[in-house]
Formats: sequence, structure tokens, C-alpha cells
Amino acid sequence: MDVLLSENEEMIRNLAREFLEGECPTSLVRDMEKDELGYSQDMWKKVASELGWTALSLPEQYGGLGEPLQFLGLIFEEVGRHMAPVPLLSTMVSALTIARDGSEAMKSDILPQVASGDLILTYSFQETDPRLIESAVQTTATADGGDFVLNGKKLFVDNFNQADKLIVTAKTGKGLTLFLVDTGSAGISTEKEVPTAKDKQFAVIFDNVKVSADSVIGEIDKGWTTAEYMLDLGAVFYASQMCGAARKDFEMGLEYSKNRVAFGRPIGAFQSVAHMLADAVMYIDGGELLTREAIWKMDQDQPYQVEVSQAKAFCNDKLQHVTVYSQMIHGGMGFMMEFDIHLWYRRVASWSMRMGSTFEHRARVAQGILDTPGNVELGMIQALPA
Amino acid sequence: MDFGYASSQQALRQEVRDFIAENMTQDVVEEVHGRGEDGRGPLMNDLFKKIGERGWLGISWPKEYGGQGGDRLTQYLVEEEFARVGLSVGGGGSGAPAIMAAGTQEQKDYYIPRIIKGEISFAQGFTEPSGGADLASLQCRAVEDGDEFVINGQKIYTSSAHVSTHLYLMARTDPEAPKHRGISIFLLPMDTPGITVRPLWTIQNDPPAPEGTTYGTPRTNETFYENVRIPKSSLLGELNMGWYVGAMGLNLDRVGASRYLISVRRDEDIVNLAKSDSSEYLNIRNNPTVRDKVAEMWIEAQVCRLMTWRSMSIVESGGNFTYEGSAEKVWAPEHGLRATEAYAQMLGPYGQLLNTSANNVESGLFAHNLLGAFQSGINHGSVQIMRDQVARRGLGLPRG
Repeated sequence: MDVLLSENEEMIRNLAREFLEGECPTSLVRDMEKDELGYSQDMWKKVASELGWTALSLPEQYGGLGEPLQFLGLIFEEVGRHMAPVPLLSTMVSALTIARDGSEAMKSDILPQVASGDLILTYSFQETDPRLIESAVQTTATADGGDFVLNGKKLFVDNFNQADKLIVTAKTGKGLTLFLVDTGSAGISTEKEVPTAKDKQFAVIFDNVKVSADSVIGEIDKGWTTAEYMLDLGAVFYASQMCGAARKDFEMGLEYSKNRVAFGRPIGAFQSVAHMLADAVMYIDGGELLTREAIWKMDQDQPYQVEVSQAKAFCNDKLQHVTVYSQMIHGGMGFMMEFDIHLWYRRVASWSMRMGSTFEHRARVAQGILDTPGNVELGMIQALPA
Repeated sequence: MDFGYASSQQALRQEVRDFIAENMTQDVVEEVHGRGEDGRGPLMNDLFKKIGERGWLGISWPKEYGGQGGDRLTQYLVEEEFARVGLSVGGGGSGAPAIMAAGTQEQKDYYIPRIIKGEISFAQGFTEPSGGADLASLQCRAVEDGDEFVINGQKIYTSSAHVSTHLYLMARTDPEAPKHRGISIFLLPMDTPGITVRPLWTIQNDPPAPEGTTYGTPRTNETFYENVRIPKSSLLGELNMGWYVGAMGLNLDRVGASRYLISVRRDEDIVNLAKSDSSEYLNIRNNPTVRDKVAEMWIEAQVCRLMTWRSMSIVESGGNFTYEGSAEKVWAPEHGLRATEAYAQMLGPYGQLLNTSANNVESGLFAHNLLGAFQSGINHGSVQIMRDQVARRGLGLPRG
């Protein structure tokens, strides 16, 4: 046990940080909020083909580098810190889901293209009833000869306008099935959603969209465990992004509190401000430790679902406080459009509601500790009830 | 990053559990409970001897002083298992680490092996009636007189002074110097003539806490020093440098797993109570509002655990703390308060009933915890002071 970053891990993080410090000024972040497409194609090329972020945690036999998810988690912390406008999260959550349960043919076709940065992916699960449970899925996939026909509406789909393909979860005869669908398929239409993060999110409507049988990921009717994996990846990587974003946001508040003078002294000398900042750093540390532990468990093939929910619930709850504190320390200045701090505030708020709210994740933790047989032990492996 | 135990550590955990199952018998439990504030009885002394024979006391102390030369994680793991049955095998207190860091060779050779064996235990004589958080303003005097120091003054909250063999005392040796630069630390036997120990009873004394209580200090003491003469060899570290010696010991003490280990029992207790069929009438497990709170508290307890793991990782890798020890000392006690209040509340009106009450739940365990939960937010540096340290030392914020 050693919860600190290893030399390798620090190197991965520092390289990502140096790159984004140089290439991702807040002016670019602002431009991309207003841009129709919403991501920097130039940056995407660099992070994929030069830095290898898309290949990093994919299997080696499909063009990846075979590194642990932990490394990718550190990249997401930096993506969050710099609010990098690239569709990395939606692409990697989808690609890793395919890497886990896709057919050999699908993996050989899709994953090398993701690794090289030539293919952008996204995923969809949530609908009008946004709960992350199997029974909330109302979209249907009806067998039609050798094909399937999709009907329904998915909400809260990240980066749909940027993606070449998306994963769709749909009800089939006796359960849930996942499909990999071309975003340009006939019968697909969209509605634009505008999150506080002002990144790109859409509702996607499927009106008799035809998909072939070989687009199925995993087994027909048995897609729930695949979907759960996809949702857990999404939740934990969003937690990583939130940790990175909150830490930067906090650092700006800290810096400001040392320089801003009121009543003849820096405002950071007032205990009410100092203690707010002390709480903030402890919240961020806590969120970071929980998140890194959850990803580590995924890498180890240990039960990880309770850990993922612990991390996302805590980050949702506490990291929003962190960004609010920073807003307060900045006073009216932080409220002004021209000042940058709101860029992080708006994102942490928005991301905290994606891939599971505080309450949903706590409910899952409660299941893990209250609905399982036997006594619980803090810090020991805790699987969700089957 | 590595958030797991090595297989050898998991095997050790099992070994400790088997040992506890075999040796923590009902008569031992009853003895512990029956003696209350009177320290270890004969059965407990035997048990500690057996624990010592297994090499589970002083695991992370150097071999040359009778320790095992093991790492902190191994020590923590053994401590965690014993904490689950309410035993502290950590050796505890800030005296031993301070002796290790600042003691003469003679002092180390004499004290450390005996501390590890459990033959010597220290009460800490720091706080005085005039100052708790502002410790450096202490007034207890030690005056050089030939080959001796003569001590006069008063200390308060000298917990365990009535069952300890020795005292770890902070006294003023230079009243003219700035307040942090005129303090020295002394090690002396409790039976030195001139020391009077008077009990102070806490709100946890009546009725005595039931077995399983997370927090328990039914008794502390005030101690009086009247012309107490001790040899000069009793001085720990340099004369007038006692503030820094003491701070070092306190800082190391803060790191220990002890703060988190309180959590292990408290947070496991409520979940296990909720899961037992006999508690169905309390409607904990099926109430969604309560489930949410249980989960929230459980997650906080995990953060306490991970902060402890982080401190151990820093120490093991040879690094230094800036604020991490203080962060633990904010989080664990404050979580303790939130959790203890929430858990008692979950029992509704049963949550207020003490163990001498009719119709109590779990012998009034959760009500008793309420009587002491704030204690760990006060002792060894209050959470307010600790939060200040995070801000000033950790974040470099200016003083007001």
C-alpha cells in the first residue's frame, strides 16, 4: 500500500499538465463554448497521435498501450484542471466498454481507430426518467430479420455532434442490449441541451433507426452488466475531471486570498476565509483519494462499484462547495463574465449531476453495506448485492 | 499508487483475528468492563503479555530497542484488528516518539524497550488550568538546584496519571525568555515524592460506558507538583527547547491510525445493527432517508481511512508532512461528531437511553458515544487549532 503517486504516475500527470498549460488557455475554452462543433480538432490530433491519450489504456493487440486505467484517470484530472475541450471522456468510456465486451471483429475494427484518434465515440443510457437503472430504459430495439430497429429518446448525450458512433442501450425481448450505432444513421434527430458547463450535450431521438446484428456489444438481452461497467467508467472519470477542476479552482481562490487586501490585511489572514480554504483542500484531497482508489480497484479486477459510488457521491457533494468557496473569496469579481473563475465553477456544477447524482450514488453505497449478508468492515472489499 | 494489502499482510490480519477469537474470552471482556477507569487487571496483563510474545507490540519500532523493525502499515493493520474489539495496542501517546527523536542513548535504551513491553506507560503533563490551546503560556516551574530540578505547579487533564508509571512533563525553565523558548520536557516516575493526583470525573462516568463504546474517558485527573525533585538526567532534549521536542512528539502522535480506528467501531456498529433482524423495529434499513445518511457517513469514514493511509504512505516514503497530519485531526473527530449524532438520531427516542435505562438499545452504546464524541475534537489540539494549521502551514496563509 502506498497511496501516493509513483514516479511514473507523476511523470504522466506532469506531461499532461505541461502540454495543457501551453496549449489550453482559457481563451480557447471560451471560444469552444461558443463554437458550433465545440472541440479543438487541432488539440484532439495532438493528444491522440502525439501524446497517446486515446491509446493509453486500450489493449496492446488493438493498437493501445495497455497501461492501467489509473494513468488515464490522472489524464482526466488534468483535462478537468484545464477544461480541455476534447471529447476524450465520451470516447474512452465507449472504447473501454467495447474493449471489455465487444466482439472480436468490432474490437479489431473500432479500437485501433480510437487509439490513433481517427474515431470519436460517445455513449447514451439516460432517458426521460434519468435513473441509472435497467428499468429506466424505455428505448426499444426490435428484431427485424437479421437487423434491429431502434425507437426511443436518449437524453444527456455528451458530444453527440462530435462523435462518429455512439453506444445505445435499448430494451430487447428479455433484457437490455447495447448497440454501436453510426451517429449519421437515417432516422436519428437531435435536440440541443445547454448545460451550465456549456460543453456539447444533446437529446438523441431514434425513429426506426436500422442497425445490423453485428453492431451488438456483448450478448443480446444480457447487456446490463456491460452497461453498468460503462456507467461506472463514466462516473469515475467524471469524478477525476471534477477533482482536477476543483483543485485548480481552489488554487485560484487561495492565490486571490493572499493578495486581495481588505481592512488593512490580506483576506486570507481572516480565519473565516482561511478555514474555508482549509476545508476546501481537505475536500479535494478526500475526493481525489476516493477516486483514485476506485480506479485502482477497477485495474485490480476487484469489486469496485461501491468505491466508484463513494467517489462520485463525495465529489458531487464536496467539490461543489469548493468551487462555491472560491467564488465567495473572489467576491463580485468572480461573478463577472470577463473573469475566468466561473469557467470551473460552471463545469464542476454540471459534471456533478452527470452519471449519477449524490443521492443515487449514496443509494448504491447503502445497498453495498446494508443489503449484503454478513457484517461490514471499513476498508475491506465490499461487493454490491447481485 | 497501491490501495491494497500484500498477501503477507492479509495473512497477518487473519492470524490476529484467530488470536483474538481464541484469547479475547468473555472473562477478559468482563474484567475490562468491570475495572472501568482502574487500568489493566490480571487477565488483561496476561493478554498483553501474549500479544507481546507474538511481536505485535511495537511493530514499527527498531529491533535494537525491542521492536520488530516493521513498517507502519503492518502496525496499523494489527492495531485495526484490535480496535475492532476495543483494545489499543499502538503504545499510544506522544512520549515514546519524542524520546526516540530527542532522547539520549541512555533514555532510549531504558524507556523504549519497556514501553514496548508495556512495563512503562506515560501520562502527559502538558495542559494547565490557565491554558489549553495556548499551551506555550504554561506556568509550571522547574528550577535547577545542584544536580536536580525542582518542580512546582499544577497540571490539568493529566489523563491516566492514576494508572501510568511515568510522567511526560512540560515545565517552564526560563521565565525571562520568549514563551516558546523557555520550556523544557522531563521524564519522571509517577511515584516521585511531591506529586498528588486528584481525580476529575467526566460526564461519561455515570453510568459507566457499556462495552463497545467508541469514546471513553470516565476519569481524568488534575495533578499537583510540590517541590518535586528529579535528577538532571530526567531532562528530555535540550534545556529550554522543550516546546519543539513536544511539538515533534505531538505531530508524530497525530499521524497514528488511532483517530481513524475510532471510526472502525462506530461506523461498523450502526450498519451491523441496522442489518440484524432483531433491530427490525428501528426501521433503519428500510428507511430511504436514513439509508442516505448512513451512506454519507460511511463515505466520510472512508475518507478518514484514506487520510490515515496517506499519512502512513508519506512516512514510509521518508517524506515530511506539511498539513496532512492536521487534516486527519480535523476530519476524523468532526466526522465522529457528525456520525455519532446521526446514529443516535437514527434510533429516535431510543438514541438517548443510557445503559442503566430500561428499553435501551445495544446497552445504550449510541447514547454513550454522544457523551464523548466531541472529546477527540478537543484533546491533543482542538479541531479549530488543527484547521488553522492546515491553513497556515499547509496553505501558507498569513496570520491575522
